[in-house]
Amino acid sequence: MTLIKRQSPPEPLAPISFEIEHPFRSKLANGLEVVIFPNNKLPLVSFRLAFQSGDIQDPADAKGLTSATTSMLTEGTSEYTSAQLAEKIERLGAGLSAHASDDFTTIAASCLSLYSEEILHLVADVVLRPTFPENELDLYRRNTIEHLKFQRSQPAFLANEQSARLIYGEHPYSNISPRAEDIQKLEREKLTAFHHQRFIASNAMLIAVGDVEPDALMKDLDDLFGDWKQGSAPENVAASPAARKARTLTIVDRPGSAQSNIVIGNLAIRRTSPDYFAMLVMNQVLGAGASSRVFMNLREEKGYTYGAYTRLETKKLAGDFEATAEVRTAVTGDSLREFFLEFDRIRQESVGEVELDDAKNFLTGVFPLRAETQEGLTNMIVNQHLYSLPDDYLQTYRDNVRGVSADEVQRVAQDYIRTEEMAIVIVGDAKEVLPQVQTYAESVEVFDTEGNRK
Amino acid sequence: MPHSFQIPALSLEQYTLPNGLRVVLNSDGAAPVVSVAVYYDVGSRNEREDRTGFAHLFEHMMFQGSENVPKAGHFQHIMKAGGTMNGTTSSERTNYYETMPADQLPLALWLESDRMRSLAVTQENLENQREAVKEEKRLRYDNQPYGQIFDLINEMIYGNFANAHSTIGSMDHLDAASVEDVQEFFRIYYAPNNAVLVLSGSFDVAEAKNLVDGYFGDIPSQPLPPSLDVSEPPAVVAKYREWEDKLAPFPAFLIGWKIPARRSREFYALYLAGKILYEGDSSRLYQKLVKGDEAVIQLFGFTDERRGPSSIFIGAIPKPDKDLSKIRETIMLEIEDLAIHGPKTEEMEKIKNQLINDSIRMRQSSMARAQQIAEFALYDGDPGLINTELDILLAVTKNEIRDVVGKFLNTDNRSLLNVKPAGASA
Repeated sequence: MTLIKRQSPPEPLAPISFEIEHPFRSKLANGLEVVIFPNNKLPLVSFRLAFQSGDIQDPADAKGLTSATTSMLTEGTSEYTSAQLAEKIERLGAGLSAHASDDFTTIAASCLSLYSEEILHLVADVVLRPTFPENELDLYRRNTIEHLKFQRSQPAFLANEQSARLIYGEHPYSNISPRAEDIQKLEREKLTAFHHQRFIASNAMLIAVGDVEPDALMKDLDDLFGDWKQGSAPENVAASPAARKARTLTIVDRPGSAQSNIVIGNLAIRRTSPDYFAMLVMNQVLGAGASSRVFMNLREEKGYTYGAYTRLETKKLAGDFEATAEVRTAVTGDSLREFFLEFDRIRQESVGEVELDDAKNFLTGVFPLRAETQEGLTNMIVNQHLYSLPDDYLQTYRDNVRGVSADEVQRVAQDYIRTEEMAIVIVGDAKEVLPQVQTYAESVEVFDTEGNRK
Repeated sequence: MPHSFQIPALSLEQYTLPNGLRVVLNSDGAAPVVSVAVYYDVGSRNEREDRTGFAHLFEHMMFQGSENVPKAGHFQHIMKAGGTMNGTTSSERTNYYETMPADQLPLALWLESDRMRSLAVTQENLENQREAVKEEKRLRYDNQPYGQIFDLINEMIYGNFANAHSTIGSMDHLDAASVEDVQEFFRIYYAPNNAVLVLSGSFDVAEAKNLVDGYFGDIPSQPLPPSLDVSEPPAVVAKYREWEDKLAPFPAFLIGWKIPARRSREFYALYLAGKILYEGDSSRLYQKLVKGDEAVIQLFGFTDERRGPSSIFIGAIPKPDKDLSKIRETIMLEIEDLAIHGPKTEEMEKIKNQLINDSIRMRQSSMARAQQIAEFALYDGDPGLINTELDILLAVTKNEIRDVVGKFLNTDNRSLLNVKPAGASA
């Protein structure tokens, strides 16, 4: 019988070690990179075909083109109509979807491993032979325009739209959504030409995780993708966003709002920054979770909100630090005060040893949890390869977290929480909110929910 | 699909402690991770008419400290051990769960047993969590377009108060709640004999049993909670209602039907009928309404599984220039077709492959396993259903689906909620 003591937390049992193996890597003659991570615990497989270009590479006169081209891949190929594709994929009990983010474009497919060949054939079909039918494109345009109207009813979208604009300025990361007039201009010829130029082997990487046999898979890939043209990868967007000069206050007036959505942020680090691990630990102490400082303060102590957090957005070319909360209107000003108190505290005071260890222990302990499912493991491997992180990134991740010191946490807080140049965005009832927050910046700008200055 | 496809059964061991706590162990060493789920047999269906929202408020109180765990200590202990956790409340139950690195199993059991044994309820914590819940309600319901429509339609479908009222409840009722009310609720519902404990993941069975005995074995049992009647008349309470939503940018509608309880043969057949009608881009209604007629911006459907009378929903946000009644007619015609001709062979093949795929994917996650096992143990007294339910679903025939669609969906016994945008700037 185990002796149980109730007064204090129990000691852990003997730890079980956890290591992620190195994947098998190869390349087709046309430059398509292949990463294979065999794992046959269950008869499942996940595939990703990812491209090193995303929404920010939209041509200046064709906003929304990357997303439109990507979405239209599954709406018709030389072999199948849109309806036939949906039917084929779902008849296998499988999933196949295409999505563009700021930096990348990804076709994701998953299925029972006995259908691997069928699903890979469909991946090749949508990527290599899409036809962009005129009627499907017309439907896409009309549905997207309705969706753009719909997202204006959601306060989180309105807040993110403004914070991205304010933080990234002239950089393409500043634009989180095209406008209806951009979508109207997307003609079929543009999509066809763009597909020809961007969906090429030298810009792509295929990642397979699960119940696959590498040699057999390489042979299948060679059959399906061997004739794909190599092309030459597009230039990256080079410019870094310009630093902000002053703190600003922006209100999106949403009369009758039941809450204020607050986002406070500034530029921080790109994904490959050497400060990444220090930022990760700093953010964990400050606001990443339910035991972090801002949640403890704004929710558990003050009861202002259901959740208050800080987050890091670390993209390929730049990134930002943001604090967020949805608070009842009457405590909007009080919430800003508490956020800025917490920013000042982590900038000015060294984090204590216990709190630092707690944050690091969370990040290292949760690592095997994130890899438990095939989707979780696939995401880790995909991110490592898309951001070109070191080959031993997943093997050294936990040591890198453990190596962060209290001094580094304070330094990155001072470097990247720039309280004097933050953009403060509040979506809420302007006439209630304004009197509470006016003192936080020299000037105030007010927008309506359509994104027009008032 | 080859008939020889076999999914290996999960190993399960179930037993009951002398104090009535039902325990299920699913030892599975695929990943160095363990999940712990505690399910209490109390949800909004157990609430008094003057204390709605109480089950959910109580869920918040369970994170506010107990004899040996300070306020907010639960979050901190779990997170610094590298774990994740949460709790949720539905009409049927309140659950608490954590996923931990496998060596931290004792910590999870210590935390769960301490609050089952000795929850600390103070005036200050109660007031603070009331405020957090009010913000949760504003965030999820009051400040979102269409945020209230599911609560509204449940009041139209169900006649029994236990089924009809919302889980988030009335803020006036929460304001009226006293510390004594909360303590009383704890005594009645949070007893070991009203709960199920499930462990799933990497652990040694003998060691886990010792730990469970040690932490939970001497928590006293309590008299059983008052019995509950969730029975319903067959007819829905209200067939039609209009709702002015000041945040909604577009008109929308939601149709709901009252259907038999989860795990009944008829419920299973309706669940599969739903997949054929609205799940995925190849579903009938997606191909008809989003593609063919190009009539809707968004289409959705789902079943609400309950131990008593349950429900199935289909909703749509039509395009601004489209006639809502025409769209509803299309939906009813498609339902009628399914009720007359039944599913096609290809549709049966599709849902079978989807069921098998989903069932295997679910098994990768210790938390998903723990939650499903806990539901089967609490609702059905049979955790082994996690291994056998798939076969029951796969055995449902075309004719069964045809017949239940005719019996339950193709009738005028349904609730229709019409949402009208009422905002100034819609």
